[in-house]
Amino acid sequence: MKNISWWKWLGVILIVYTFLAGMLVPLGHGIVEINPRSVKTGEQAQFTLVGYNSHYEQDKDGLRAWLKLDDEHAIGAKEIRVKGDRILELDFDIPAYLPVSKRVQDFSLILDSETDGTAVLPTAVLVTQDSIDEEKGVSAWKNSAITGLTVTTGMTFPFRAIIYETIRNTYFHVALWLSMMLLFIAAVVYSIRYVRDPQPIWDSKARAFTSVGLFFGILGLVTGMIWAAYTWGKPWSNDVKQITTAIALLVYLAYFILRSAFEDPEQKGRISAVYNIFAFVLLIPLIYVIPRMVDSLHPGAGGNPAFGSEDLDSTMRMVFYPAIIGWALIGAWIANLQYRMDAIREKWIENLD
Amino acid sequence: MKKIIFLTLTLNLLLSDVLFAQDRTPDFMRSVGKMYVVVAVIVAVFLGIVLFLTYLDKRLTRLENQIHDNDQKQ
Repeated sequence: MKNISWWKWLGVILIVYTFLAGMLVPLGHGIVEINPRSVKTGEQAQFTLVGYNSHYEQDKDGLRAWLKLDDEHAIGAKEIRVKGDRILELDFDIPAYLPVSKRVQDFSLILDSETDGTAVLPTAVLVTQDSIDEEKGVSAWKNSAITGLTVTTGMTFPFRAIIYETIRNTYFHVALWLSMMLLFIAAVVYSIRYVRDPQPIWDSKARAFTSVGLFFGILGLVTGMIWAAYTWGKPWSNDVKQITTAIALLVYLAYFILRSAFEDPEQKGRISAVYNIFAFVLLIPLIYVIPRMVDSLHPGAGGNPAFGSEDLDSTMRMVFYPAIIGWALIGAWIANLQYRMDAIREKWIENLD
Repeated sequence: MKKIIFLTLTLNLLLSDVLFAQDRTPDFMRSVGKMYVVVAVIVAVFLGIVLFLTYLDKRLTRLENQIHDNDQKQ
Protein backbone atom coordinates (compact mmCIF):
# COMPACT_ATOMS: atom_id res chain seq x y z
CA MET A 1 0.00 0.00 0.00
CA LYS A 2 2.76 2.41 0.94
CA ASN A 3 4.74 1.91 -2.26
CA ILE A 4 1.88 3.35 -4.33
CA SER A 5 2.63 7.01 -5.02
CA TRP A 6 0.40 9.67 -3.50
CA TRP A 7 -0.80 10.97 -6.86
CA LYS A 8 -2.29 7.60 -7.74
CA TRP A 9 -4.31 7.63 -4.53
CA LEU A 10 -5.33 11.21 -5.29
CA GLY A 11 -6.61 10.07 -8.70
CA VAL A 12 -8.65 7.28 -7.11
CA ILE A 13 -10.10 9.61 -4.47
CA LEU A 14 -11.04 12.22 -7.06
CA ILE A 15 -12.77 9.63 -9.28
CA VAL A 16 -14.67 8.15 -6.33
CA TYR A 17 -15.72 11.70 -5.40
CA THR A 18 -16.79 12.27 -9.02
CA PHE A 19 -18.94 9.13 -9.00
CA LEU A 20 -20.58 9.94 -5.66
CA ALA A 21 -21.14 13.66 -6.11
CA GLY A 22 -21.84 13.29 -9.81
CA MET A 23 -24.59 10.74 -9.28
CA LEU A 24 -26.07 11.86 -5.97
CA VAL A 25 -26.45 15.65 -6.18
CA PRO A 26 -30.07 16.08 -7.27
CA LEU A 27 -31.05 18.02 -10.34
CA GLY A 28 -32.98 21.25 -9.80
CA HIS A 29 -36.58 22.01 -10.73
CA GLY A 30 -37.19 22.12 -14.48
CA ILE A 31 -39.90 22.50 -17.11
CA VAL A 32 -40.15 19.61 -19.54
CA GLU A 33 -43.13 20.49 -21.69
CA ILE A 34 -45.69 23.21 -22.30
CA ASN A 35 -48.78 23.08 -24.46
CA PRO A 36 -49.79 24.87 -26.71
CA ARG A 37 -46.51 26.16 -28.07
CA SER A 38 -48.02 29.00 -30.10
CA VAL A 39 -50.80 31.53 -29.35
CA LYS A 40 -52.16 34.77 -30.81
CA THR A 41 -52.21 38.25 -29.30
CA GLY A 42 -55.35 39.30 -27.44
CA GLU A 43 -56.10 35.71 -26.49
CA GLN A 44 -56.86 34.28 -23.08
CA ALA A 45 -54.34 31.51 -23.35
CA GLN A 46 -54.41 28.40 -21.20
CA PHE A 47 -51.23 26.35 -21.03
CA THR A 48 -50.60 22.92 -19.58
CA LEU A 49 -47.14 22.57 -18.11
CA VAL A 50 -45.19 19.47 -17.16
CA GLY A 51 -42.45 19.92 -14.58
CA TYR A 52 -39.46 17.85 -13.57
CA ASN A 53 -38.34 17.23 -9.97
CA SER A 54 -41.19 19.46 -8.87
CA HIS A 55 -43.54 19.36 -5.87
CA TYR A 56 -46.35 21.65 -6.98
CA GLU A 57 -48.90 20.10 -4.60
CA GLN A 58 -46.84 21.20 -1.61
CA ASP A 59 -46.42 24.66 -3.00
CA LYS A 60 -49.90 25.74 -4.14
CA ASP A 61 -49.53 29.35 -2.94
CA GLY A 62 -45.84 29.83 -3.67
CA LEU A 63 -46.05 29.48 -7.46
CA ARG A 64 -45.52 32.37 -9.84
CA ALA A 65 -45.03 32.32 -13.62
CA TRP A 66 -44.07 34.79 -16.33
CA LEU A 67 -43.79 34.92 -20.10
CA LYS A 68 -40.60 36.83 -20.66
CA LEU A 69 -39.01 38.54 -23.66
CA ASP A 70 -36.12 40.26 -21.89
CA ASP A 71 -35.37 41.85 -18.54
CA GLU A 72 -37.85 44.68 -19.14
CA HIS A 73 -40.69 42.98 -20.95
CA ALA A 74 -42.67 40.25 -19.27
CA ILE A 75 -46.23 39.44 -18.22
CA GLY A 76 -47.24 37.45 -15.20
CA ALA A 77 -49.70 34.55 -15.18
CA LYS A 78 -53.28 35.47 -14.27
CA GLU A 79 -53.96 32.16 -12.58
CA ILE A 80 -52.05 29.02 -11.79
CA ARG A 81 -53.96 25.79 -11.05
CA VAL A 82 -52.11 22.81 -9.59
CA LYS A 83 -53.16 19.52 -11.22
CA GLY A 84 -50.51 17.31 -9.66
CA ASP A 85 -46.98 17.42 -8.40
CA ARG A 86 -45.71 17.68 -11.95
CA ILE A 87 -48.65 19.25 -13.80
CA LEU A 88 -49.85 22.84 -13.79
CA GLU A 89 -52.44 24.83 -15.71
CA LEU A 90 -51.44 28.40 -16.42
CA ASP A 91 -53.75 31.21 -17.59
CA PHE A 92 -52.26 34.21 -19.35
CA ASP A 93 -54.02 37.26 -20.80
CA ILE A 94 -51.88 37.88 -23.87
CA PRO A 95 -51.91 41.65 -24.62
CA ALA A 96 -53.24 42.90 -27.97
CA TYR A 97 -49.81 43.92 -29.23
CA LEU A 98 -46.28 42.61 -28.93
CA PRO A 99 -43.40 44.80 -27.68
CA VAL A 100 -41.53 44.20 -30.96
CA SER A 101 -42.05 45.24 -34.58
CA LYS A 102 -42.21 41.64 -35.76
CA ARG A 103 -45.15 39.39 -36.57
CA VAL A 104 -43.92 36.49 -34.45
CA GLN A 105 -41.88 36.57 -31.28
CA ASP A 106 -40.76 33.78 -28.99
CA PHE A 107 -41.03 34.10 -25.23
CA SER A 108 -39.43 32.07 -22.52
CA LEU A 109 -41.41 30.82 -19.58
CA ILE A 110 -40.20 31.39 -16.05
CA LEU A 111 -41.73 29.46 -13.18
CA ASP A 112 -40.81 30.25 -9.61
CA SER A 113 -41.63 27.83 -6.85
CA GLU A 114 -40.90 28.53 -3.19
CA THR A 115 -40.02 24.91 -2.46
CA ASP A 116 -38.27 23.89 -5.68
CA GLY A 117 -36.69 27.09 -6.96
CA THR A 118 -36.84 28.75 -10.35
CA ALA A 119 -37.20 26.94 -13.66
CA VAL A 120 -36.78 28.42 -17.14
CA LEU A 121 -37.98 27.03 -20.46
CA PRO A 122 -36.33 29.00 -23.28
CA THR A 123 -38.35 29.64 -26.48
CA ALA A 124 -41.38 28.22 -24.69
CA VAL A 125 -44.18 29.98 -26.57
CA LEU A 126 -44.46 31.68 -29.95
CA VAL A 127 -46.86 34.63 -30.01
CA THR A 128 -48.24 35.85 -33.35
CA GLN A 129 -49.80 39.28 -33.92
CA ASP A 130 -51.83 40.48 -36.93
CA SER A 131 -51.02 44.18 -36.73
CA ILE A 132 -47.89 45.79 -35.32
CA ASP A 133 -47.83 48.54 -32.71
CA GLU A 134 -44.61 48.46 -30.78
CA GLU A 135 -45.41 51.33 -28.38
CA LYS A 136 -48.68 49.84 -27.14
CA GLY A 137 -46.97 46.50 -26.92
CA VAL A 138 -44.12 47.84 -24.82
CA SER A 139 -46.47 49.40 -22.30
CA ALA A 140 -48.62 46.26 -22.10
CA TRP A 141 -45.71 43.88 -21.60
CA LYS A 142 -44.19 46.02 -18.85
CA ASN A 143 -46.96 45.08 -16.44
CA SER A 144 -45.09 42.77 -14.09
CA ALA A 145 -41.50 42.80 -13.06
CA ILE A 146 -39.80 39.52 -12.21
CA THR A 147 -38.53 39.93 -8.66
CA GLY A 148 -37.77 37.82 -5.64
CA LEU A 149 -36.92 34.62 -7.47
CA THR A 150 -36.21 31.72 -5.16
CA VAL A 151 -32.55 30.86 -5.03
CA THR A 152 -31.76 27.18 -4.51
CA THR A 153 -28.55 25.26 -4.17
CA GLY A 154 -27.70 22.15 -6.15
CA MET A 155 -27.41 21.33 -9.82
CA THR A 156 -29.44 23.51 -12.16
CA PHE A 157 -31.82 21.73 -14.50
CA PRO A 158 -30.15 21.80 -17.94
CA PHE A 159 -31.04 24.77 -20.11
CA ARG A 160 -31.80 22.55 -23.11
CA ALA A 161 -34.85 20.43 -22.34
CA ILE A 162 -33.48 17.35 -24.15
CA ILE A 163 -30.67 16.77 -21.64
CA TYR A 164 -32.36 15.96 -18.31
CA GLU A 165 -30.17 13.86 -15.99
CA THR A 166 -27.66 13.15 -18.78
CA ILE A 167 -26.04 16.48 -17.87
CA ARG A 168 -24.12 14.26 -15.43
CA ASN A 169 -22.26 12.84 -18.42
CA THR A 170 -20.25 16.07 -18.29
CA TYR A 171 -18.16 14.44 -15.55
CA PHE A 172 -17.36 11.46 -17.78
CA HIS A 173 -17.61 12.40 -21.45
CA VAL A 174 -16.33 15.99 -21.28
CA ALA A 175 -13.85 15.34 -18.46
CA LEU A 176 -12.36 12.43 -20.42
CA TRP A 177 -11.71 14.70 -23.42
CA LEU A 178 -10.03 17.34 -21.29
CA SER A 179 -7.87 14.79 -19.49
CA MET A 180 -6.99 13.31 -22.91
CA MET A 181 -5.69 16.77 -23.74
CA LEU A 182 -3.54 16.78 -20.56
CA LEU A 183 -2.16 13.32 -21.44
CA PHE A 184 -1.32 14.41 -24.99
CA ILE A 185 0.44 17.48 -23.57
CA ALA A 186 2.53 15.19 -21.34
CA ALA A 187 3.29 13.01 -24.37
CA VAL A 188 4.42 15.94 -26.50
CA VAL A 189 6.64 17.22 -23.67
CA TYR A 190 8.40 13.84 -23.54
CA SER A 191 8.68 13.79 -27.34
CA ILE A 192 10.41 17.17 -27.26
CA ARG A 193 12.74 15.89 -24.54
CA TYR A 194 13.56 12.89 -26.73
CA VAL A 195 14.37 15.11 -29.70
CA ARG A 196 16.76 17.15 -27.53
CA ASP A 197 18.26 14.20 -25.67
CA PRO A 198 17.56 10.76 -27.22
CA GLN A 199 17.27 8.61 -24.09
CA PRO A 200 15.01 5.51 -24.51
CA ILE A 201 13.05 6.47 -21.36
CA TRP A 202 11.68 9.67 -23.00
CA ASP A 203 10.52 7.68 -26.01
CA SER A 204 8.77 5.04 -23.94
CA LYS A 205 7.15 7.72 -21.75
CA ALA A 206 5.91 9.59 -24.85
CA ARG A 207 4.57 6.32 -26.28
CA ALA A 208 2.84 5.39 -23.01
CA PHE A 209 1.12 8.77 -22.60
CA THR A 210 0.06 8.85 -26.25
CA SER A 211 -1.50 5.40 -25.99
CA VAL A 212 -3.51 6.33 -22.90
CA GLY A 213 -4.48 9.64 -24.50
CA LEU A 214 -5.72 7.83 -27.58
CA PHE A 215 -7.59 5.37 -25.37
CA PHE A 216 -9.32 8.22 -23.51
CA GLY A 217 -10.13 9.81 -26.86
CA ILE A 218 -11.81 6.63 -28.08
CA LEU A 219 -13.73 6.43 -24.78
CA GLY A 220 -14.75 10.07 -25.29
CA LEU A 221 -16.03 9.25 -28.76
CA VAL A 222 -17.96 6.16 -27.61
CA THR A 223 -19.50 7.88 -24.57
CA GLY A 224 -20.38 10.83 -26.81
CA MET A 225 -22.16 8.52 -29.23
CA ILE A 226 -24.18 6.91 -26.44
CA TRP A 227 -25.09 10.36 -25.13
CA ALA A 228 -25.97 11.62 -28.62
CA ALA A 229 -28.21 8.63 -29.36
CA TYR A 230 -30.63 9.73 -26.63
CA THR A 231 -30.36 13.50 -26.94
CA TRP A 232 -29.60 14.40 -30.57
CA GLY A 233 -31.55 11.35 -31.77
CA LYS A 234 -28.77 9.32 -33.36
CA PRO A 235 -25.23 8.29 -32.37
CA TRP A 236 -23.51 9.91 -35.33
CA SER A 237 -24.86 13.12 -36.85
CA ASN A 238 -21.73 14.17 -38.77
CA ASP A 239 -21.46 17.05 -36.34
CA VAL A 240 -18.31 19.09 -36.96
CA LYS A 241 -16.82 18.18 -33.60
CA GLN A 242 -17.52 14.48 -34.13
CA ILE A 243 -15.73 14.58 -37.49
CA THR A 244 -12.73 16.64 -36.42
CA THR A 245 -12.11 14.59 -33.28
CA ALA A 246 -12.40 11.37 -35.29
CA ILE A 247 -9.73 12.77 -37.66
CA ALA A 248 -7.54 13.75 -34.71
CA LEU A 249 -7.80 10.24 -33.27
CA LEU A 250 -6.89 8.71 -36.65
CA VAL A 251 -3.81 10.97 -36.75
CA TYR A 252 -2.79 9.61 -33.35
CA LEU A 253 -3.59 6.05 -34.43
CA ALA A 254 -1.13 6.55 -37.29
CA TYR A 255 1.56 7.29 -34.66
CA PHE A 256 1.43 3.64 -33.56
CA ILE A 257 1.37 2.32 -37.11
CA LEU A 258 4.41 4.50 -37.86
CA ARG A 259 6.23 3.11 -34.81
CA SER A 260 5.68 -0.47 -35.87
CA ALA A 261 7.32 0.27 -39.24
CA PHE A 262 10.80 0.74 -37.75
CA GLU A 263 13.10 -1.92 -36.34
CA ASP A 264 15.94 0.26 -35.16
CA PRO A 265 14.94 1.78 -31.78
CA GLU A 266 16.81 5.04 -32.34
CA GLN A 267 15.26 5.65 -35.73
CA LYS A 268 11.85 4.66 -34.37
CA GLY A 269 12.24 7.02 -31.42
CA ARG A 270 13.38 10.00 -33.46
CA ILE A 271 10.80 9.78 -36.23
CA SER A 272 7.89 9.02 -33.91
CA ALA A 273 8.90 11.88 -31.57
CA VAL A 274 8.82 14.33 -34.46
CA TYR A 275 5.53 12.87 -35.71
CA ASN A 276 4.04 13.20 -32.23
CA ILE A 277 4.89 16.89 -32.12
CA PHE A 278 3.22 17.37 -35.52
CA ALA A 279 0.17 15.38 -34.40
CA PHE A 280 -0.20 17.64 -31.36
CA VAL A 281 0.09 20.76 -33.50
CA LEU A 282 -2.67 19.34 -35.71
CA LEU A 283 -4.85 18.44 -32.70
CA ILE A 284 -5.25 22.08 -31.59
CA PRO A 285 -6.99 23.38 -34.75
CA LEU A 286 -8.98 20.16 -35.10
CA ILE A 287 -10.43 20.27 -31.60
CA TYR A 288 -10.31 23.91 -30.57
CA VAL A 289 -10.35 26.03 -33.73
CA ILE A 290 -12.47 24.47 -36.48
CA PRO A 291 -15.46 23.59 -34.21
CA ARG A 292 -15.63 27.25 -33.18
CA MET A 293 -15.89 28.44 -36.76
CA VAL A 294 -18.98 26.54 -37.89
CA ASP A 295 -22.33 25.57 -36.41
CA SER A 296 -22.28 22.52 -34.21
CA LEU A 297 -24.71 20.48 -32.16
CA HIS A 298 -22.28 20.74 -29.27
CA PRO A 299 -23.12 23.40 -26.65
CA GLY A 300 -22.65 27.05 -27.63
CA ALA A 301 -22.74 26.27 -31.35
CA GLY A 302 -21.15 28.64 -33.82
CA GLY A 303 -18.66 30.76 -31.91
CA ASN A 304 -17.90 28.91 -28.76
CA PRO A 305 -18.27 25.14 -28.51
CA ALA A 306 -17.14 25.06 -24.90
CA PHE A 307 -19.39 25.03 -21.89
CA GLY A 308 -20.78 28.38 -20.82
CA SER A 309 -22.46 29.53 -17.64
CA GLU A 310 -25.77 28.22 -19.05
CA ASP A 311 -24.46 24.68 -19.10
CA LEU A 312 -22.12 24.54 -16.13
CA ASP A 313 -23.15 26.06 -12.81
CA SER A 314 -21.00 26.48 -9.73
CA THR A 315 -22.15 23.18 -8.18
CA MET A 316 -21.20 21.30 -11.32
CA ARG A 317 -17.82 22.99 -11.47
CA MET A 318 -17.06 21.56 -8.03
CA VAL A 319 -17.36 18.09 -9.54
CA PHE A 320 -16.24 18.78 -13.10
CA TYR A 321 -12.74 20.18 -12.40
CA PRO A 322 -11.79 17.43 -9.90
CA ALA A 323 -13.11 14.91 -12.45
CA ILE A 324 -10.68 16.18 -15.11
CA ILE A 325 -7.72 15.93 -12.73
CA GLY A 326 -8.89 12.54 -11.45
CA TRP A 327 -9.20 10.99 -14.92
CA ALA A 328 -5.86 12.47 -15.95
CA LEU A 329 -4.18 10.96 -12.88
CA ILE A 330 -5.76 7.55 -13.57
CA GLY A 331 -4.50 7.85 -17.15
CA ALA A 332 -1.03 8.78 -15.90
CA TRP A 333 -1.11 5.69 -13.68
CA ILE A 334 -1.85 3.43 -16.67
CA ALA A 335 0.93 5.18 -18.63
CA ASN A 336 3.25 4.71 -15.65
CA LEU A 337 2.68 0.94 -15.72
CA GLN A 338 3.52 0.86 -19.41
CA TYR A 339 6.80 2.74 -19.28
CA ARG A 340 7.95 0.81 -16.23
CA MET A 341 7.34 -2.35 -18.22
CA ASP A 342 9.39 -0.90 -21.09
CA ALA A 343 12.19 -0.05 -18.64
CA ILE A 344 12.34 -3.69 -17.47
CA ARG A 345 12.58 -4.91 -21.06
CA GLU A 346 15.31 -2.33 -21.75
CA LYS A 347 17.34 -3.44 -18.74
CA TRP A 348 16.90 -7.12 -19.58
CA ILE A 349 18.13 -6.60 -23.16
CA GLU A 350 21.14 -4.67 -21.82
CA ASN A 351 22.03 -7.52 -19.47
CA LEU A 352 21.86 -10.03 -22.32
CA ASP A 353 24.74 -8.37 -24.19
CA MET B 1 -14.72 -10.68 -28.01
CA LYS B 2 -14.89 -7.00 -28.85
CA LYS B 3 -17.18 -7.78 -31.78
CA ILE B 4 -19.59 -9.70 -29.54
CA ILE B 5 -19.83 -6.82 -27.04
CA PHE B 6 -20.31 -4.32 -29.84
CA LEU B 7 -22.99 -6.45 -31.53
CA THR B 8 -24.99 -7.03 -28.36
CA LEU B 9 -24.85 -3.32 -27.53
CA THR B 10 -26.04 -2.26 -31.00
CA LEU B 11 -28.74 -4.93 -31.01
CA ASN B 12 -29.96 -3.72 -27.64
CA LEU B 13 -30.13 -0.13 -28.80
CA LEU B 14 -31.90 -1.06 -32.06
CA LEU B 15 -34.40 -3.37 -30.38
CA SER B 16 -35.38 -0.90 -27.70
CA ASP B 17 -35.99 1.74 -30.38
CA VAL B 18 -38.11 -0.58 -32.53
CA LEU B 19 -40.15 -1.95 -29.64
CA PHE B 20 -41.05 1.40 -28.18
CA ALA B 21 -41.35 3.43 -31.37
CA GLN B 22 -45.16 3.56 -31.34
CA ASP B 23 -45.48 4.19 -27.63
CA ARG B 24 -45.83 7.70 -26.23
CA THR B 25 -44.28 6.66 -22.92
CA PRO B 26 -40.51 6.85 -22.90
CA ASP B 27 -38.50 3.64 -23.38
CA PHE B 28 -36.23 2.22 -20.70
CA MET B 29 -33.22 4.36 -21.60
CA ARG B 30 -35.30 7.54 -21.64
CA SER B 31 -37.22 6.82 -18.43
CA VAL B 32 -36.38 8.43 -15.06
CA GLY B 33 -35.10 11.57 -16.76
CA LYS B 34 -32.76 9.64 -19.11
CA MET B 35 -30.74 8.55 -16.07
CA TYR B 36 -29.88 5.20 -17.69
CA VAL B 37 -27.92 7.02 -20.41
CA VAL B 38 -25.52 8.09 -17.66
CA VAL B 39 -25.39 4.49 -16.43
CA ALA B 40 -24.63 3.29 -19.97
CA VAL B 41 -21.83 5.85 -20.29
CA ILE B 42 -20.26 4.77 -17.00
CA VAL B 43 -20.49 1.09 -18.00
CA ALA B 44 -18.85 1.94 -21.35
CA VAL B 45 -15.98 3.73 -19.58
CA PHE B 46 -15.50 0.78 -17.23
CA LEU B 47 -15.56 -1.78 -20.07
CA GLY B 48 -13.05 0.39 -21.95
CA ILE B 49 -10.68 0.40 -18.97
CA VAL B 50 -11.03 -3.39 -18.67
CA LEU B 51 -10.20 -3.83 -22.37
CA PHE B 52 -7.13 -1.62 -21.96
CA LEU B 53 -6.01 -3.61 -18.92
CA THR B 54 -6.41 -6.83 -20.94
CA TYR B 55 -4.13 -5.37 -23.63
CA LEU B 56 -1.56 -4.39 -20.97
CA ASP B 57 -1.81 -7.87 -19.46
CA LYS B 58 -1.06 -9.41 -22.87
CA ARG B 59 2.04 -7.24 -23.33
CA LEU B 60 3.27 -8.10 -19.86
CA THR B 61 2.74 -11.83 -20.47
CA ARG B 62 4.73 -11.59 -23.70
CA LEU B 63 7.61 -9.91 -21.87
CA GLU B 64 7.47 -12.50 -19.08
CA ASN B 65 7.58 -15.34 -21.62
CA GLN B 66 10.52 -13.75 -23.43
CA ILE B 67 12.52 -13.47 -20.20
CA HIS B 68 11.49 -16.97 -19.10
CA ASP B 69 12.41 -18.63 -22.43
CA ASN B 70 15.75 -16.92 -22.43
CA ASP B 71 16.56 -18.01 -18.90
CA GLN B 72 15.89 -21.60 -19.84
CA LYS B 73 18.21 -21.44 -22.85
CA GLN B 74 21.11 -20.29 -20.74
